[in-house]
Amino acid sequence: MQKGEMFLGWSTKEDIRKRGGSGGLVTSVLAAALDKKLVDSVVVLKKINDFEAVPVITSDVNEVLNSAGSLHSVPSNFAKLIANKNLKVALPAKGCDVRGIIEQGKRNTIKLDNTFIIGLNCGGSMHPTVTREMLEVMYKIRPEDVHGEEIEKGKLIFETKDGKEHAITIDELEEKGYGRRESCRYCTIKIPNNADLACGNWGVTGELAGKATFVEVNSEKGAELLQNAVDAGYVQIQKPDEKGIAARARIKGAMEGLSRKWKEKVFIPMDNRLEYFRKELENCIDCGACKTVCPTCSCGDVSKCTEFHYRGDAYKMSMYHLVRFLHLADSCIGCGQCTDVCPVDIPLTRLYRRFANPVQEELKYEPGMDLRRPPYFEVKLND
Amino acid sequence: MSAEAWEPKIVAFCCNWCSYGGADSAGMGRFQQPPSTRIIRVMCSGRIDPLHVFNAFLEGADAVLVTGCHIGDCHYVNGNDKTKIKYKFLESVVRELGIEKERLQLNWISASEGEKFASFIRDVTEQIKKLGPSPLKPEGVS
Ligand SMILES: Cc1cc2nc3c(=O)[nH]c(=O)nc-3n(C[C@H](O)[C@H](O)[C@H](O)COP(=O)(O)OP(=O)(O)OC[C@H]3O[C@@H](n4cnc5c(N)ncnc54)[C@H](O)[C@@H]3O)c2cc1C
Ligand code: FES
Repeated sequence: MQKGEMFLGWSTKEDIRKRGGSGGLVTSVLAAALDKKLVDSVVVLKKINDFEAVPVITSDVNEVLNSAGSLHSVPSNFAKLIANKNLKVALPAKGCDVRGIIEQGKRNTIKLDNTFIIGLNCGGSMHPTVTREMLEVMYKIRPEDVHGEEIEKGKLIFETKDGKEHAITIDELEEKGYGRRESCRYCTIKIPNNADLACGNWGVTGELAGKATFVEVNSEKGAELLQNAVDAGYVQIQKPDEKGIAARARIKGAMEGLSRKWKEKVFIPMDNRLEYFRKELENCIDCGACKTVCPTCSCGDVSKCTEFHYRGDAYKMSMYHLVRFLHLADSCIGCGQCTDVCPVDIPLTRLYRRFANPVQEELKYEPGMDLRRPPYFEVKLND
Repeated sequence: MSAEAWEPKIVAFCCNWCSYGGADSAGMGRFQQPPSTRIIRVMCSGRIDPLHVFNAFLEGADAVLVTGCHIGDCHYVNGNDKTKIKYKFLESVVRELGIEKERLQLNWISASEGEKFASFIRDVTEQIKKLGPSPLKPEGVS
Protein backbone atom coordinates (compact mmCIF):
# COMPACT_ATOMS: atom_id res chain seq x y z
CA MET A 1 0.00 0.00 0.00
CA GLN A 2 1.38 3.38 -0.88
CA LYS A 3 0.67 7.05 -1.38
CA GLY A 4 -1.78 7.78 -4.21
CA GLU A 5 -3.63 4.45 -4.06
CA MET A 6 -7.41 4.33 -3.74
CA PHE A 7 -9.65 1.73 -2.13
CA LEU A 8 -13.21 0.95 -1.22
CA GLY A 9 -13.43 -0.22 2.36
CA TRP A 10 -15.83 -1.01 5.13
CA SER A 11 -15.90 -2.09 8.72
CA THR A 12 -15.82 -5.83 9.40
CA LYS A 13 -18.18 -5.23 12.30
CA GLU A 14 -21.68 -5.36 10.87
CA ASP A 15 -23.13 -2.97 13.44
CA ILE A 16 -20.53 -0.27 12.77
CA ARG A 17 -20.87 -0.64 9.05
CA LYS A 18 -24.56 0.05 9.46
CA ARG A 19 -24.18 3.01 11.78
CA GLY A 20 -21.27 4.57 9.89
CA GLY A 21 -21.64 7.51 7.53
CA SER A 22 -20.90 5.26 4.58
CA GLY A 23 -19.08 2.05 5.51
CA GLY A 24 -17.91 2.71 9.04
CA LEU A 25 -14.34 2.64 7.76
CA VAL A 26 -13.25 5.82 9.51
CA THR A 27 -14.45 4.64 12.90
CA SER A 28 -12.76 1.29 12.43
CA VAL A 29 -9.45 2.78 11.31
CA LEU A 30 -9.48 5.05 14.37
CA ALA A 31 -10.32 2.17 16.69
CA ALA A 32 -7.63 -0.03 15.17
CA ALA A 33 -5.02 2.70 15.55
CA LEU A 34 -5.85 2.98 19.24
CA ASP A 35 -6.13 -0.78 19.75
CA LYS A 36 -2.75 -1.54 18.14
CA LYS A 37 -1.07 1.38 19.96
CA LEU A 38 -0.28 3.33 16.81
CA VAL A 39 -1.61 6.28 18.81
CA ASP A 40 -2.40 6.97 22.47
CA SER A 41 -5.61 8.88 21.89
CA VAL A 42 -8.33 9.56 19.37
CA VAL A 43 -10.67 12.53 18.88
CA VAL A 44 -14.32 11.72 18.21
CA LEU A 45 -17.65 13.41 18.51
CA LYS A 46 -19.84 12.46 21.43
CA LYS A 47 -23.41 12.79 20.31
CA ILE A 48 -25.96 14.76 22.32
CA ASN A 49 -28.71 14.48 19.72
CA ASP A 50 -28.88 14.42 15.93
CA PHE A 51 -27.58 17.91 15.50
CA GLU A 52 -25.47 18.54 18.55
CA ALA A 53 -22.28 16.86 19.76
CA VAL A 54 -19.14 17.63 21.72
CA PRO A 55 -15.64 16.57 20.70
CA VAL A 56 -13.78 14.35 23.16
CA ILE A 57 -10.20 13.11 23.32
CA THR A 58 -10.41 9.49 24.35
CA SER A 59 -8.30 6.38 24.81
CA ASP A 60 -11.32 4.11 25.08
CA VAL A 61 -11.85 1.90 22.01
CA ASN A 62 -15.55 1.52 22.79
CA GLU A 63 -16.10 5.24 22.87
CA VAL A 64 -14.49 5.42 19.43
CA LEU A 65 -16.71 2.63 18.09
CA ASN A 66 -19.77 4.44 19.45
CA SER A 67 -19.00 7.54 17.41
CA ALA A 68 -19.73 6.03 13.97
CA GLY A 69 -21.86 8.24 11.73
CA SER A 70 -21.67 11.70 10.18
CA LEU A 71 -23.13 14.70 11.93
CA HIS A 72 -23.72 17.39 9.34
CA SER A 73 -24.75 20.08 11.78
CA VAL A 74 -21.75 19.90 14.06
CA PRO A 75 -19.29 22.40 12.58
CA SER A 76 -16.51 21.56 14.99
CA ASN A 77 -12.86 22.31 14.37
CA PHE A 78 -10.44 20.00 16.12
CA ALA A 79 -7.19 21.92 15.60
CA LYS A 80 -7.36 24.07 18.74
CA LEU A 81 -8.61 21.09 20.74
CA ILE A 82 -5.41 19.10 20.25
CA ALA A 83 -2.98 22.05 20.22
CA ASN A 84 -0.42 22.41 23.03
CA LYS A 85 -1.25 18.97 24.38
CA ASN A 86 1.63 17.01 22.86
CA LEU A 87 -0.58 14.07 21.91
CA LYS A 88 0.07 11.05 19.77
CA VAL A 89 -3.33 11.17 18.23
CA ALA A 90 -5.54 10.05 15.35
CA LEU A 91 -8.62 12.03 14.40
CA PRO A 92 -11.30 12.48 11.75
CA ALA A 93 -11.15 15.86 10.04
CA LYS A 94 -13.11 17.84 7.49
CA GLY A 95 -11.06 19.92 5.06
CA CYS A 96 -10.99 22.94 7.37
CA ASP A 97 -10.01 20.79 10.38
CA VAL A 98 -7.07 19.48 8.38
CA ARG A 99 -6.04 22.97 7.37
CA GLY A 100 -6.25 24.19 10.95
CA ILE A 101 -4.14 21.29 12.18
CA ILE A 102 -1.47 21.92 9.56
CA GLU A 103 -1.37 25.64 10.39
CA GLN A 104 -0.99 24.83 14.09
CA GLY A 105 1.79 22.43 13.08
CA LYS A 106 3.66 25.28 11.39
CA ARG A 107 3.34 27.27 14.60
CA ASN A 108 4.81 24.41 16.65
CA THR A 109 1.76 23.78 18.81
CA ILE A 110 1.02 20.41 17.21
CA LYS A 111 3.61 17.80 16.23
CA LEU A 112 2.42 16.72 12.80
CA ASP A 113 4.60 13.58 12.89
CA ASN A 114 2.53 12.36 15.82
CA THR A 115 -0.81 13.34 14.32
CA PHE A 116 -2.70 10.94 12.06
CA ILE A 117 -5.35 12.84 10.15
CA ILE A 118 -8.24 10.95 8.57
CA GLY A 119 -9.76 13.47 6.20
CA LEU A 120 -13.51 13.43 5.47
CA ASN A 121 -14.80 14.67 2.14
CA CYS A 122 -17.04 17.56 2.97
CA GLY A 123 -19.71 19.30 0.95
CA GLY A 124 -20.44 21.55 3.91
CA SER A 125 -21.81 21.58 7.42
CA MET A 126 -24.65 23.43 9.13
CA HIS A 127 -24.92 25.53 12.25
CA PRO A 128 -26.89 23.69 14.96
CA THR A 129 -28.97 26.74 15.93
CA VAL A 130 -29.86 27.44 12.31
CA THR A 131 -30.72 23.76 11.90
CA ARG A 132 -33.16 23.92 14.79
CA GLU A 133 -34.91 26.93 13.29
CA MET A 134 -34.87 25.35 9.84
CA LEU A 135 -36.56 22.22 11.16
CA GLU A 136 -39.40 24.27 12.57
CA VAL A 137 -39.80 26.77 9.75
CA MET A 138 -39.03 24.75 6.63
CA TYR A 139 -39.70 21.14 7.59
CA LYS A 140 -42.45 21.92 10.09
CA ILE A 141 -41.15 19.28 12.47
CA ARG A 142 -40.12 19.61 16.08
CA PRO A 143 -36.35 19.29 16.54
CA GLU A 144 -36.98 16.82 19.38
CA ASP A 145 -38.72 14.44 16.99
CA VAL A 146 -35.73 14.05 14.68
CA HIS A 147 -34.32 10.58 14.63
CA GLY A 148 -31.83 10.65 11.80
CA GLU A 149 -30.50 12.79 8.99
CA GLU A 150 -28.82 12.23 5.67
CA ILE A 151 -27.91 13.94 2.43
CA GLU A 152 -28.88 12.27 -0.81
CA LYS A 153 -28.92 13.59 -4.36
CA GLY A 154 -28.81 17.23 -3.32
CA LYS A 155 -31.56 16.80 -0.75
CA LEU A 156 -31.33 17.12 2.99
CA ILE A 157 -33.49 14.43 4.51
CA PHE A 158 -34.64 14.26 8.12
CA GLU A 159 -36.24 11.16 9.51
CA THR A 160 -38.66 11.57 12.40
CA LYS A 161 -39.29 9.13 15.20
CA ASP A 162 -42.52 7.98 13.56
CA GLY A 163 -40.45 6.62 10.66
CA LYS A 164 -41.43 9.31 8.14
CA GLU A 165 -38.87 10.99 5.87
CA HIS A 166 -38.89 14.73 5.17
CA ALA A 167 -36.83 15.93 2.21
CA ILE A 168 -36.06 19.42 0.85
CA THR A 169 -33.39 20.31 -1.69
CA ILE A 170 -30.35 22.09 -0.32
CA ASP A 171 -30.69 24.77 -3.01
CA GLU A 172 -34.14 25.65 -1.78
CA LEU A 173 -32.99 25.73 1.85
CA GLU A 174 -30.09 28.03 1.01
CA GLU A 175 -32.29 30.33 -0.99
CA LYS A 176 -34.29 30.85 2.20
CA GLY A 177 -31.18 31.50 4.27
CA TYR A 178 -30.86 28.03 5.79
CA GLY A 179 -28.72 25.08 4.80
CA ARG A 180 -24.96 25.11 4.85
CA ARG A 181 -22.90 27.75 6.64
CA GLU A 182 -21.85 30.52 4.32
CA SER A 183 -18.15 29.65 4.49
CA CYS A 184 -18.92 26.07 3.39
CA ARG A 185 -20.77 27.32 0.35
CA TYR A 186 -17.67 28.96 -1.07
CA CYS A 187 -15.13 26.45 0.30
CA THR A 188 -13.24 24.74 -2.52
CA ILE A 189 -11.62 21.95 -0.49
CA LYS A 190 -14.10 19.15 -1.04
CA ILE A 191 -11.68 16.21 -0.90
CA PRO A 192 -8.99 16.72 1.76
CA ASN A 193 -5.86 15.58 -0.03
CA ASN A 194 -3.87 17.46 2.61
CA ALA A 195 -4.84 14.82 5.21
CA ASP A 196 -3.20 11.39 5.56
CA LEU A 197 -6.31 9.65 4.22
CA ALA A 198 -9.26 11.16 2.37
CA CYS A 199 -12.55 9.32 3.01
CA GLY A 200 -16.02 9.84 1.65
CA ASN A 201 -18.93 8.28 -0.14
CA TRP A 202 -18.35 9.86 -3.55
CA GLY A 203 -17.23 7.19 -5.97
CA VAL A 204 -19.01 4.30 -4.27
CA THR A 205 -21.39 2.97 -6.92
CA GLY A 206 -23.64 0.00 -7.58
CA GLU A 207 -24.33 -2.53 -4.87
CA LEU A 208 -21.87 -1.05 -2.45
CA ALA A 209 -23.43 2.43 -2.48
CA GLY A 210 -24.10 3.46 1.10
CA LYS A 211 -22.25 0.40 2.39
CA ALA A 212 -18.64 1.33 1.68
CA THR A 213 -16.27 4.23 2.10
CA PHE A 214 -14.07 5.48 -0.72
CA VAL A 215 -10.61 6.10 0.66
CA GLU A 216 -7.58 7.70 -0.95
CA VAL A 217 -4.14 7.29 0.61
CA ASN A 218 -2.39 10.67 0.65
CA SER A 219 0.75 9.94 2.64
CA GLU A 220 2.92 7.23 4.12
CA LYS A 221 1.30 7.85 7.47
CA GLY A 222 -2.05 7.27 5.78
CA ALA A 223 -0.86 3.96 4.33
CA GLU A 224 0.34 2.91 7.79
CA LEU A 225 -3.05 3.74 9.30
CA LEU A 226 -5.08 1.84 6.75
CA GLN A 227 -2.72 -1.15 6.61
CA ASN A 228 -2.84 -1.34 10.39
CA ALA A 229 -6.65 -1.49 10.33
CA VAL A 230 -6.62 -4.20 7.65
CA ASP A 231 -4.00 -6.27 9.48
CA ALA A 232 -5.89 -5.94 12.76
CA GLY A 233 -9.02 -7.28 11.07
CA TYR A 234 -11.02 -4.08 11.59
CA VAL A 235 -11.62 -3.25 7.94
CA GLN A 236 -11.86 -4.98 4.61
CA ILE A 237 -10.78 -3.26 1.41
CA GLN A 238 -10.92 -3.78 -2.32
CA LYS A 239 -9.93 -1.82 -5.42
CA PRO A 240 -12.51 0.64 -6.76
CA ASP A 241 -13.56 0.41 -10.41
CA GLU A 242 -12.72 3.07 -12.99
CA LYS A 243 -16.33 4.20 -13.09
CA GLY A 244 -16.29 5.02 -9.39
CA ILE A 245 -13.01 6.89 -9.59
CA ALA A 246 -14.32 8.97 -12.49
CA ALA A 247 -17.62 9.67 -10.72
CA ARG A 248 -15.78 10.90 -7.64
CA ALA A 249 -13.62 13.25 -9.70
CA ARG A 250 -16.67 14.52 -11.57
CA ILE A 251 -18.63 15.33 -8.42
CA LYS A 252 -15.59 17.03 -6.90
CA GLY A 253 -15.21 19.22 -10.00
CA ALA A 254 -18.89 20.13 -10.02
CA MET A 255 -18.87 21.01 -6.32
CA GLU A 256 -15.79 23.19 -6.70
CA GLY A 257 -17.44 25.00 -9.59
CA LEU A 258 -20.50 25.75 -7.46
CA SER A 259 -18.23 27.03 -4.69
CA ARG A 260 -16.50 29.43 -7.04
CA LYS A 261 -19.91 30.78 -8.09
CA TRP A 262 -20.86 31.31 -4.46
CA LYS A 263 -17.59 33.09 -3.86
CA GLU A 264 -18.34 35.58 -6.61
CA LYS A 265 -21.81 36.11 -5.21
CA VAL A 266 -20.64 36.72 -1.64
CA PHE A 267 -17.64 38.91 -2.41
CA ILE A 268 -19.03 41.43 -4.84
CA PRO A 269 -16.68 44.40 -5.23
CA MET A 270 -17.87 47.46 -3.35
CA ASP A 271 -17.15 51.11 -2.72
CA ASN A 272 -17.33 52.63 0.69
CA ARG A 273 -15.63 49.67 2.29
CA LEU A 274 -14.62 51.51 5.45
CA GLU A 275 -18.25 52.33 6.16
CA TYR A 276 -19.19 48.71 5.49
CA PHE A 277 -16.62 47.34 7.94
CA ARG A 278 -17.51 49.90 10.58
CA LYS A 279 -21.19 49.10 10.25
CA GLU A 280 -20.63 45.35 10.49
CA LEU A 281 -18.38 45.71 13.54
CA GLU A 282 -20.41 48.30 15.38
CA ASN A 283 -22.05 45.76 17.69
CA CYS A 284 -18.81 44.09 18.73
CA ILE A 285 -18.72 43.57 22.49
CA ASP A 286 -14.99 42.70 22.65
CA CYS A 287 -15.56 39.20 23.93
CA GLY A 288 -12.62 37.80 21.99
CA ALA A 289 -14.41 34.56 21.09
CA CYS A 290 -13.46 34.86 17.41
CA LYS A 291 -9.78 34.73 18.33
CA THR A 292 -10.21 31.99 20.91
CA VAL A 293 -11.72 29.59 18.38
CA CYS A 294 -9.55 30.63 15.43
CA PRO A 295 -7.73 27.45 14.36
CA THR A 296 -4.83 29.34 12.82
CA CYS A 297 -4.12 31.58 15.81
CA SER A 298 -1.54 30.25 18.24
CA CYS A 299 -0.88 33.38 20.29
CA GLY A 300 -2.51 32.37 23.55
CA ASP A 301 -3.95 34.89 25.97
CA VAL A 302 -1.32 37.59 25.54
CA SER A 303 -1.32 38.71 21.95
CA LYS A 304 -0.90 41.78 19.85
CA CYS A 305 -4.56 42.05 18.92
CA THR A 306 -5.73 42.08 22.53
CA GLU A 307 -2.89 43.86 24.34
CA PHE A 308 -3.03 47.03 22.24
CA HIS A 309 -6.76 47.36 22.27
CA TYR A 310 -8.57 49.25 25.01
CA ARG A 311 -12.31 49.28 25.51
CA GLY A 312 -12.25 53.02 26.24
CA ASP A 313 -10.82 53.91 22.81
CA ALA A 314 -12.86 56.35 20.77
CA TYR A 315 -11.30 55.08 17.55
CA LYS A 316 -13.27 54.61 14.37
CA MET A 317 -12.06 51.03 14.04
CA SER A 318 -10.97 48.76 16.84
CA MET A 319 -7.29 47.94 17.00
CA TYR A 320 -8.25 44.36 17.80
CA HIS A 321 -9.96 43.88 14.46
CA LEU A 322 -7.29 45.75 12.50
CA VAL A 323 -4.57 43.46 13.84
CA ARG A 324 -6.70 40.38 13.20
CA PHE A 325 -7.38 41.54 9.63
CA LEU A 326 -3.65 41.85 9.09
CA HIS A 327 -2.67 38.57 10.71
CA LEU A 328 -5.35 36.61 8.93
CA ALA A 329 -4.62 38.10 5.52
CA ASP A 330 -2.22 35.27 4.76
CA SER A 331 -3.47 32.72 7.30
CA CYS A 332 -7.28 32.66 7.20
CA ILE A 333 -8.50 29.23 6.10
CA GLY A 334 -12.13 30.33 5.85
CA CYS A 335 -13.43 27.70 8.29
CA GLY A 336 -16.26 29.89 9.58
CA GLN A 337 -15.62 29.23 13.27
CA CYS A 338 -15.49 32.95 14.13
CA THR A 339 -18.88 33.62 12.56
CA ASP A 340 -20.34 30.58 14.32
CA VAL A 341 -19.36 31.73 17.79
CA CYS A 342 -19.97 35.48 17.52
CA PRO A 343 -22.60 36.34 20.14
CA VAL A 344 -23.74 39.42 18.22
CA ASP A 345 -23.82 37.73 14.82
CA ILE A 346 -21.06 39.65 13.05
CA PRO A 347 -20.26 37.81 9.79
CA LEU A 348 -16.57 37.75 10.70
CA THR A 349 -15.42 35.11 8.23
CA ARG A 350 -16.84 37.20 5.42
CA LEU A 351 -14.91 40.22 6.70
CA TYR A 352 -11.64 38.33 7.11
CA ARG A 353 -11.97 36.79 3.65
CA ARG A 354 -12.26 40.27 2.15
CA PHE A 355 -8.67 40.81 3.25
CA ALA A 356 -7.45 37.26 2.75
CA ASN A 357 -8.77 36.62 -0.77
CA PRO A 358 -6.61 39.19 -2.60
CA VAL A 359 -3.48 38.46 -0.57
CA GLN A 360 -3.69 34.69 -0.89
CA GLU A 361 -4.49 34.89 -4.58
CA GLU A 362 -1.61 37.24 -5.26
CA LEU A 363 0.89 35.20 -3.27
CA LYS A 364 -0.54 31.91 -4.57
CA TYR A 365 -0.56 30.73 -1.00
CA GLU A 366 -3.27 28.47 0.37
CA PRO A 367 -2.84 28.14 4.12
CA GLY A 368 -3.21 24.66 5.54
CA MET A 369 -2.80 22.89 2.21
CA ASP A 370 0.92 22.18 2.51
CA LEU A 371 3.83 22.92 4.79
CA ARG A 372 4.89 26.20 3.19
CA ARG A 373 5.60 28.90 5.74
CA PRO A 374 3.04 31.70 5.94
CA PRO A 375 4.48 34.51 3.77
CA TYR A 376 4.33 36.95 6.68
CA PHE A 377 6.74 34.67 8.58
CA GLU A 378 9.39 35.64 6.04
CA VAL A 379 10.14 38.59 8.32
CA LYS A 380 12.08 35.97 10.25
CA LEU A 381 14.74 35.91 7.56
CA ASN A 382 17.05 32.94 7.53
CA ASP A 383 20.41 34.74 7.71
CA MET B 1 -11.24 77.12 9.44
CA SER B 2 -11.50 77.48 5.67
CA ALA B 3 -10.60 74.64 3.33
CA GLU B 4 -7.49 76.44 2.02
CA ALA B 5 -6.07 76.84 5.48
CA TRP B 6 -6.39 73.15 6.36
CA GLU B 7 -2.99 71.56 6.90
CA PRO B 8 -2.93 67.77 6.89
CA LYS B 9 -1.23 65.96 9.73
CA ILE B 10 1.31 63.52 8.37
CA VAL B 11 3.18 61.05 10.53
CA ALA B 12 6.56 60.08 9.10
CA PHE B 13 8.45 57.16 10.60
CA CYS B 14 12.18 57.69 9.96
CA CYS B 15 15.07 55.39 10.74
CA ASN B 16 17.86 56.87 12.80
CA TRP B 17 20.63 56.24 10.30
CA CYS B 18 19.21 57.25 6.93
CA SER B 19 15.85 58.88 6.48
CA TYR B 20 16.06 60.80 9.77
CA GLY B 21 19.41 62.08 8.53
CA GLY B 22 17.65 62.93 5.27
CA ALA B 23 15.11 65.02 7.18
CA ASP B 24 17.98 66.70 8.96
CA SER B 25 19.75 67.52 5.70
CA ALA B 26 16.51 68.90 4.32
CA GLY B 27 16.48 71.38 7.18
CA MET B 28 20.18 72.18 6.99
CA GLY B 29 19.91 72.70 3.23
CA ARG B 30 16.93 75.04 3.81
CA PHE B 31 14.74 73.17 1.35
CA GLN B 32 11.18 74.44 1.51
CA GLN B 33 8.67 72.02 3.03
CA PRO B 34 5.22 72.45 4.57
CA PRO B 35 4.79 72.16 8.35
CA SER B 36 2.57 69.10 7.96
CA THR B 37 4.86 66.32 9.16
CA ARG B 38 5.40 64.86 12.60
CA ILE B 39 8.52 62.76 12.53
CA ILE B 40 8.82 59.70 14.71
CA ARG B 41 12.37 58.45 14.91
CA VAL B 42 12.99 54.72 15.20
CA MET B 43 16.39 53.07 15.18
CA CYS B 44 15.60 51.08 12.05
CA SER B 45 12.62 50.92 9.69
CA GLY B 46 12.40 47.24 10.65
CA ARG B 47 11.14 48.42 14.03
CA ILE B 48 8.00 49.88 12.50
CA ASP B 49 5.22 47.49 13.34
CA PRO B 50 1.99 47.66 11.33
CA LEU B 51 0.43 48.36 14.70
CA HIS B 52 2.25 51.70 14.89
CA VAL B 53 0.84 52.66 11.53
CA PHE B 54 -2.70 51.65 12.51
CA ASN B 55 -2.32 53.62 15.70
CA ALA B 56 -1.21 56.75 13.85
CA PHE B 57 -4.28 56.52 11.61
CA LEU B 58 -6.63 55.85 14.50
CA GLU B 59 -5.24 58.84 16.41
CA GLY B 60 -5.98 61.10 13.45
CA ALA B 61 -3.06 61.07 11.02
CA ASP B 62 -4.14 62.00 7.51
CA ALA B 63 -1.23 60.06 6.04
CA VAL B 64 1.51 57.81 7.34
CA LEU B 65 4.95 57.54 5.75
CA VAL B 66 7.24 54.59 6.28
CA THR B 67 10.83 55.47 5.44
CA GLY B 68 14.26 53.94 5.89
CA CYS B 69 17.65 53.31 4.31
CA HIS B 70 17.93 52.18 0.72
CA ILE B 71 17.78 48.39 0.34
CA GLY B 72 21.27 47.04 1.07
CA ASP B 73 22.17 50.05 3.24
CA CYS B 74 20.28 49.14 6.41
CA HIS B 75 22.59 49.55 9.39
CA TYR B 76 21.20 46.36 10.86
CA VAL B 77 21.89 44.35 7.68
CA ASN B 78 18.35 43.39 6.66
CA GLY B 79 15.95 45.48 8.75
CA ASN B 80 14.47 47.13 5.70
CA ASP B 81 13.95 43.77 3.97
CA LYS B 82 11.65 42.99 6.86
CA THR B 83 10.01 46.38 6.46
CA LYS B 84 9.27 45.52 2.85
CA ILE B 85 7.55 42.25 3.79
CA LYS B 86 5.48 43.87 6.54
CA TYR B 87 4.63 46.82 4.34
CA LYS B 88 3.23 44.58 1.61
CA PHE B 89 0.66 43.14 4.01
CA LEU B 90 -0.04 46.45 5.65
CA GLU B 91 -0.63 48.07 2.28
CA SER B 92 -3.12 45.46 1.19
CA VAL B 93 -5.05 45.66 4.47
CA VAL B 94 -5.18 49.46 4.31
CA ARG B 95 -6.30 49.33 0.69
CA GLU B 96 -9.02 46.72 1.35
CA LEU B 97 -10.20 48.75 4.29
CA GLY B 98 -11.03 51.47 1.81
CA ILE B 99 -8.32 54.01 2.72
CA GLU B 100 -6.93 55.89 -0.30
CA LYS B 101 -3.53 54.57 -1.32
CA GLU B 102 -1.89 58.03 -1.08
CA ARG B 103 -2.38 57.94 2.67
CA LEU B 104 0.20 55.24 3.19
CA GLN B 105 3.54 55.49 1.41
CA LEU B 106 6.92 53.83 1.55
CA ASN B 107 10.16 55.53 0.56
CA TRP B 108 13.86 54.82 0.94
CA ILE B 109 15.82 58.02 1.66
CA SER B 110 19.52 58.25 2.54
CA ALA B 111 21.03 60.74 5.01
CA SER B 112 22.37 62.89 2.18
CA GLU B 113 19.10 63.08 0.25
CA GLY B 114 17.71 66.20 1.95
CA GLU B 115 16.20 67.46 -1.28
CA LYS B 116 14.47 64.11 -1.88
CA PHE B 117 13.01 64.14 1.63
CA ALA B 118 11.68 67.68 1.26
CA SER B 119 10.13 67.07 -2.14
CA PHE B 120 8.56 63.81 -0.88
CA ILE B 121 6.90 65.73 1.94
CA ARG B 122 5.78 68.46 -0.46
CA ASP B 123 4.24 65.90 -2.84
CA VAL B 124 2.45 63.93 -0.15
CA THR B 125 1.09 67.10 1.46
CA GLU B 126 -0.26 68.23 -1.91
CA GLN B 127 -1.93 64.85 -2.52
CA ILE B 128 -3.49 64.76 0.93
CA LYS B 129 -4.74 68.33 0.70
CA LYS B 130 -6.68 67.25 -2.36
CA LEU B 131 -8.11 64.21 -0.56
CA GLY B 132 -9.07 66.03 2.62
CA PRO B 133 -9.05 64.64 6.15
CA SER B 134 -8.67 60.91 6.71
CA PRO B 135 -11.91 58.96 7.15
CA LEU B 136 -10.35 57.29 10.19
CA LYS B 137 -9.84 60.56 12.04
CA PRO B 138 -11.66 60.45 15.39
CA GLU B 139 -14.49 62.90 16.06
CA GLY B 140 -13.25 66.21 17.36
CA VAL B 141 -9.67 65.87 16.14
CA SER B 142 -8.57 68.37 13.53
C1 LIG C 1 -20.14 17.71 7.70
C2 LIG C 1 -19.81 16.56 6.79
C3 LIG C 1 -20.07 16.67 5.42
C4 LIG C 1 -19.74 15.62 4.56
N1 LIG C 1 -19.97 15.77 3.23
C5 LIG C 1 -19.60 14.77 2.39
C6 LIG C 1 -19.79 14.89 1.00
O1 LIG C 1 -20.33 15.89 0.52
N2 LIG C 1 -19.34 13.90 0.18
C7 LIG C 1 -18.72 12.78 0.67
O2 LIG C 1 -18.31 11.91 -0.10
N3 LIG C 1 -18.56 12.63 1.99
C8 LIG C 1 -18.97 13.59 2.84
N4 LIG C 1 -18.78 13.44 4.19
C9 LIG C 1 -18.11 12.24 4.67
C10 LIG C 1 -19.08 11.08 4.86
O3 LIG C 1 -20.29 11.53 5.43
C11 LIG C 1 -18.49 10.03 5.79
O4 LIG C 1 -18.04 10.66 6.99
C12 LIG C 1 -17.32 9.35 5.16
O5 LIG C 1 -17.75 8.72 3.98
C13 LIG C 1 -16.72 8.33 6.08
O6 LIG C 1 -17.68 7.35 6.33
P1 LIG C 1 -17.44 6.22 7.38
O7 LIG C 1 -18.66 5.39 7.47
O8 LIG C 1 -16.17 5.53 7.05
O9 LIG C 1 -17.24 7.08 8.70
P2 LIG C 1 -17.70 6.72 10.15
O10 LIG C 1 -17.18 5.37 10.49
O11 LIG C 1 -19.13 6.99 10.28
O12 LIG C 1 -16.85 7.74 11.03
C14 LIG C 1 -17.12 9.11 11.01
C15 LIG C 1 -16.19 9.79 11.96
O13 LIG C 1 -16.32 11.18 11.75
C16 LIG C 1 -16.59 11.86 12.94
N5 LIG C 1 -17.50 12.94 12.62
C17 LIG C 1 -18.83 12.89 12.43
N6 LIG C 1 -19.33 14.10 12.19
C18 LIG C 1 -18.28 14.96 12.21
C19 LIG C 1 -18.17 16.35 12.03
N7 LIG C 1 -19.21 17.13 11.80
N8 LIG C 1 -16.93 16.91 12.13
C20 LIG C 1 -15.85 16.15 12.39
N9 LIG C 1 -15.92 14.82 12.57
C21 LIG C 1 -17.12 14.23 12.49
C22 LIG C 1 -17.16 10.84 13.88
O14 LIG C 1 -16.80 11.15 15.20
C23 LIG C 1 -16.51 9.54 13.41
O15 LIG C 1 -15.30 9.35 14.09
C24 LIG C 1 -19.13 14.45 5.08
C25 LIG C 1 -18.89 14.35 6.45
C26 LIG C 1 -19.21 15.37 7.31
C27 LIG C 1 -18.94 15.22 8.79
S1 FES D 1 18.77 51.29 9.78
FE1 FES D 1 17.71 52.39 8.26
S2 FES D 1 16.38 50.87 7.59
FE2 FES D 1 17.47 49.72 9.03
